[in-house]
Amino acid sequence: MILVALLLPLAGAALCWAFGPRLRGAAGWLATAAVGLSFIAILVAGSGREALFTWMPGFDFGLSLDRLSLLWSVVITGVGCLIHLYSIGYMHGDRGFARFFAYMNFFIFAMLLLVLSDNWVGLLIGWGLVGLASYFLIGYWFDRPSAVAAARKAFVMNVVGDVGMMFAIFLLVANLHTIRMSDAFASAASLSPALLYAICFGLFVGAAAKSAQVPLHTWLPDAMEGPTPVSALIHAATMVTAGVYLVARCAPLWDQSASAQMLVGTIGALTAISAAILGAAQWDIKRILAYSTMSQIGYMIMGVGVGAYAGGIAHFFTHAFFKAQLFLASGIIIHALGNEQDVRLMGGLRKRMPLAFWGILTGVLAISGIPGFSGFFSKDQIVAGALAHGHPYMYAVGIVTAGITAYYMFRLFFITFLGEYRGNVDPASVGITRETTNAAPHEPGDDAHHAPAWIMGLPVALLIIPTVLAGWLLFGSDASPSPWSRFFAPQFAGPATAAVPIPDWLTTAITFAVVLIGIGVAALRYATSAARADAVARLRSESLNMPKVLTHQYYMDALINFVFVRGARLLGAVFGRIVDPFVIDGAVRESATSAQSLGTAVRALQSGLLRAYAFVIAIGAGCFLVYYLVTGLPHR
Amino acid sequence: MPAHLLPMPLANYVSLSAVMFFIGVAGVIVRRNPLIMLMSIELMFNAANLLFVAYARAWLNNAGHIFAFLVITVAAAEAAIALAIVVVAFRSSDRVDVDDVRTLHG
Repeated sequence: MILVALLLPLAGAALCWAFGPRLRGAAGWLATAAVGLSFIAILVAGSGREALFTWMPGFDFGLSLDRLSLLWSVVITGVGCLIHLYSIGYMHGDRGFARFFAYMNFFIFAMLLLVLSDNWVGLLIGWGLVGLASYFLIGYWFDRPSAVAAARKAFVMNVVGDVGMMFAIFLLVANLHTIRMSDAFASAASLSPALLYAICFGLFVGAAAKSAQVPLHTWLPDAMEGPTPVSALIHAATMVTAGVYLVARCAPLWDQSASAQMLVGTIGALTAISAAILGAAQWDIKRILAYSTMSQIGYMIMGVGVGAYAGGIAHFFTHAFFKAQLFLASGIIIHALGNEQDVRLMGGLRKRMPLAFWGILTGVLAISGIPGFSGFFSKDQIVAGALAHGHPYMYAVGIVTAGITAYYMFRLFFITFLGEYRGNVDPASVGITRETTNAAPHEPGDDAHHAPAWIMGLPVALLIIPTVLAGWLLFGSDASPSPWSRFFAPQFAGPATAAVPIPDWLTTAITFAVVLIGIGVAALRYATSAARADAVARLRSESLNMPKVLTHQYYMDALINFVFVRGARLLGAVFGRIVDPFVIDGAVRESATSAQSLGTAVRALQSGLLRAYAFVIAIGAGCFLVYYLVTGLPHR
Repeated sequence: MPAHLLPMPLANYVSLSAVMFFIGVAGVIVRRNPLIMLMSIELMFNAANLLFVAYARAWLNNAGHIFAFLVITVAAAEAAIALAIVVVAFRSSDRVDVDDVRTLHG
């Protein structure tokens, strides 16, 4: 049954790819059905392990569905199914409609392979294939140069991660002589601390690249070039959380290496706060959400890094709902406004798009951590977990980031939905200059008015339910643990947590206070009646006074460009101008000329005179004769 | 058992063989008529045959006889092929001179 769940999306992808032009609109329904059936198959299977085949003696391939992979598979296929349904409306009329669904189904297959494999090789294959699917989908509009460049960037940075992960897996297989993960975890204690750290480091390079963690994060904001459903499915809900999955999956390795845990937690915290600050400086609605995704994944990575595994994956679970929700709702706005993505040209959309309003409002409340909404519970678990596992700095960063998150999410919300509609004002009057705007891309052949509205509305409406309620699974206390922690207790047998000086209720209160401050600042700046009346001028001055370091994303792209791109070009120049013409071509030319001169020298012997040849033979025979006369015959 | 079955000393046979061989070598190198050259080659074969037979008698070992017959067979085959080549090569030419056949020169 697990195999069926894995292969259904692959079959859907193959059908959409092979018969795309003939299927037309049916391709979307076919792909949605494949993912939906896969979801049901996962639920029916529930748990278990299925052996597939033997790669080499002792190296078995199999699928395993345990609590962790069940969680991921349910989100991948469940949220994936809703996003597929949404895409039928969003991509309606696009030239590559069937191609889009083929890619989407292929992605679901790859992601399921990643989480269901019970061995390192299958994990690595899935890991590579989701990167490939992401490349396809970011560059889906291949006639747009910026999309192609973004796709290439994402792929290259992911491959950097793949290489790190590959070396970690080489080390694991070479030292433990097994490709099955459970066997590797069972014998992980035999590894030396240095080796274990190297393995964890390599695995985390892969996780950081896939999950857009500092310093391998720059591809994710650019990846918003893909269609909005892709951003929702791949670059928010599922693929970018693969790094969280990997760390949680390899918890037995991390539990034994405190320094590796420290590394992961630090990177997660750094990403959480730096991306949140950048999110506050963006104007493109999808880029704001992209930075918030980075920041929230930073939370998750921090959570699983410090050892609060249940909290980290809980945040994955709730984030998948509310972030998919936010992306899909913003997709409705983008679609309705003719592909306008700049929030400065929105405003006053509350009455015009009530569903998008409610979708984004619940999403914003959830991501900001308003009590009762899903994000509150999971974020609280991570922040409290950081302190419980003895990392006060990460605890502080978590709280501060929560405040910044509340600020920029409410900023997005206020600018988009309050005040007057600004779509008809001159872009320059709100401070849009050529450098800061994403030239509103024209999505080729799109025509929103033929697909029924419920196709895009239904997924958003359905996602509101878990966005609000999913967090209650985490509601519990030490005396009566929450359903979540009871469910995952057998999965993670980590070290016991220390007693903390700050009780949980106080942590919750502090976090909530900081969140309220963030919301208050956003409200003062964008929601007061004075701000609403003066919105155009205020937005203009904010855009023009935005610190350069924020509009340039901390100059990370420039740094990478300077070190690696320029470095590679320099290396290329050295090889192209010196090594290739003089060493490699030189060797070839030299061997050609030497063969030629040798031929010129020797051709004199080929006189064609039969008697000359005979003479040479006679001379040779004479030489042999003389030699044997001098030295005597060899003894037998 | 007699030391050998030769009517005269072995050195005579060896000397005769050597003389015949060098006459053959000189003939191949010096003469330009292919027929004469072939005859010189036959002379070298026969010098070798003479040595085979002489040593076979001297050492009471019949392997030499067998080799002599083998050489005669090969020489016959070689003469047939060589004469065919000569006929083909010189059908177009009115002179019979190996130095005129230089199509293989480098």
